[in-house]
Amino acid sequence: MAPPPQSDEIVLACRDVELAFGGLRALKGLGFDIARGEIFGLVGPNGSGKTSMVNVVTGFYRAQSGTVHLFGEDVTRLKPHRIAGRGVARTFQNLALFRGMTVLDNILLGRHVHMRAGALPSLFYWVWALRHEVAHRRAVEELIDFMQLQDIRDEPVEVIPLGLQKRVELARALAADPRLLILDEPMAGMNQEEKEYIARFILDAREERNTTVLLIEHHMDVVTSICDRVMVLSYGESIAQGRPAEAIADPRVVKAYLGERAAARHKGVAA
Amino acid sequence: MLYRRAGIRHTSYPKERQLWPLPFDRYLVTAVALFLLAAPFLVDRLYLVAYLLPWIIWSMAALGLNLLMGGAGQIHLAYGAVMAIGAYTSVHLVRAGVPFEFALVAAGLMSAAIGMIFGVAALRVKALYLAMSTLAMQYIVDFVISHSPAISGGTQATIQVPPVSFLGIALEGDLPMYYFALAVCVVVTLFMLNVQRTAFGRALAAVREKDYAAEVIGVDTFKYKLLAFWTSSFIGGVVGAVLVVSYLRSVSPDQFHIELSVQIVAMVIVGGLGSVLGSFFGAALILFTPIVLNNLVGALASGLGIAMSADLRAHIPLMLYGAMIVGFLVLEPLGLAKIYDNVRNYFLVWPFRHARR
Repeated sequence: MAPPPQSDEIVLACRDVELAFGGLRALKGLGFDIARGEIFGLVGPNGSGKTSMVNVVTGFYRAQSGTVHLFGEDVTRLKPHRIAGRGVARTFQNLALFRGMTVLDNILLGRHVHMRAGALPSLFYWVWALRHEVAHRRAVEELIDFMQLQDIRDEPVEVIPLGLQKRVELARALAADPRLLILDEPMAGMNQEEKEYIARFILDAREERNTTVLLIEHHMDVVTSICDRVMVLSYGESIAQGRPAEAIADPRVVKAYLGERAAARHKGVAA
Repeated sequence: MLYRRAGIRHTSYPKERQLWPLPFDRYLVTAVALFLLAAPFLVDRLYLVAYLLPWIIWSMAALGLNLLMGGAGQIHLAYGAVMAIGAYTSVHLVRAGVPFEFALVAAGLMSAAIGMIFGVAALRVKALYLAMSTLAMQYIVDFVISHSPAISGGTQATIQVPPVSFLGIALEGDLPMYYFALAVCVVVTLFMLNVQRTAFGRALAAVREKDYAAEVIGVDTFKYKLLAFWTSSFIGGVVGAVLVVSYLRSVSPDQFHIELSVQIVAMVIVGGLGSVLGSFFGAALILFTPIVLNNLVGALASGLGIAMSADLRAHIPLMLYGAMIVGFLVLEPLGLAKIYDNVRNYFLVWPFRHARR
């Protein structure tokens, strides 16, 4: 097993990650590196282990073997909030916003890792918490402008449409000023226009906020147009890695998505 | 109409996040505060001591429990026991000659410490199981207090509270007692209001709503649940001390049984989970409705000349009281605070029926 690279250019390094639920092997020795500033796509058919991989990285699942290094530091056994504290933010496939709270409060919560959140600042609000709260409010308002959420900031999150909820969740993740942003299907259920918005936000987040992005996505048009590299999973194994267009054209990938016969036909068409 | 929002513009974040952004709310709060300050000179002594004072104290207790139940979403059926720990701690310290200022803080710390021991055990479990384990705390604390002569002075014993002074003011007579309870209540209320607009309250709400999502944004859910238990128990201990010093004047184990815990849980739920205003509403409803109904039924029975047997006369108010609680919760499951909020929202957009929130 090769030691993970120590260069600080590597944001996330996974090595031989094995994860099994009982007899089901969800991840079979996966390994990949993500370099700083990259948009790395994780694609594959349903049940291929994309979300499981992300859950291992963010500490929700504990891999049976293998290591996860974040900025050169071993985080394999850390709890999710500790990993969040090291600059990782993520969104969920099924939204995980806090119901009953406004859009603004949800995004403010995204800044939790940067805030003093004890009980005493609440007791001495005017001398202890006011300036702190306002400073973070400024940061959040900048983000609200960036994500174009101005007119809904005071709405409770459960009343706004799904597309906007997804955008709020992305804003909450960005509020933490993450060094690694993990997006689990940020465009699921969106129309073309909304998809383009989100794609633009992801690209802007990288440009303006120096974020590295790990993106799980099913829309191949998005993957090929914004990802720098992709890894294709099938049944917990990596079947292709590399530039998006090349990886997706790989015969094994076509087979995993479309099946043996369709792949043969595809080859015939291509030839 | 009264609450109109039109034309009110906030130009800074502190202004927008102030406690009562609408002028009418501020006038209302000022009016209530002035009334409470002037109450000893406005209302009869009987009303002051028998109604206002317990209302203030029970509201504080409801506020403390609301932090845990409404804020962090953890049910707690042993708040009476938490208050008992604070009450006995303060009384024993005062009798040992410790200044009351310190005894008050020590009461909070002791409740917080013991509350947290049970909290750690209880936090491994959720919802109904948590209810059961806090119920166990109630019975264990009850048992330990009443069976340790060192604490309770014996099973049937009552310990008198010696005269105390707070910050140089002797707490003797109705006036100082009332103002003392009011002052503590103001501190607790402001704390609770501030919790809702600071990172602490948001973190608790995150734990309450979705613990995995809270983890992923960096909230240590276990730590914040414990912190909620700690803070809530601290308030409970302080309220227990205030209760015995300024209202009960003596302390005995039977004052803090499960009935008290259930009463406070009822105040929180009827008032509105997570609502500061609701805690006051809930305390008022649970404390005073039985008395009011009792008088009402009595007046009706004698006024209309209805012959009524003594036990029917005693039970009708209780039945009405139960029906009222059910009725309010059917009308608005989110509690009295939500009913108030509905009325307020109606006036916010009056004369139109619908508008953005």
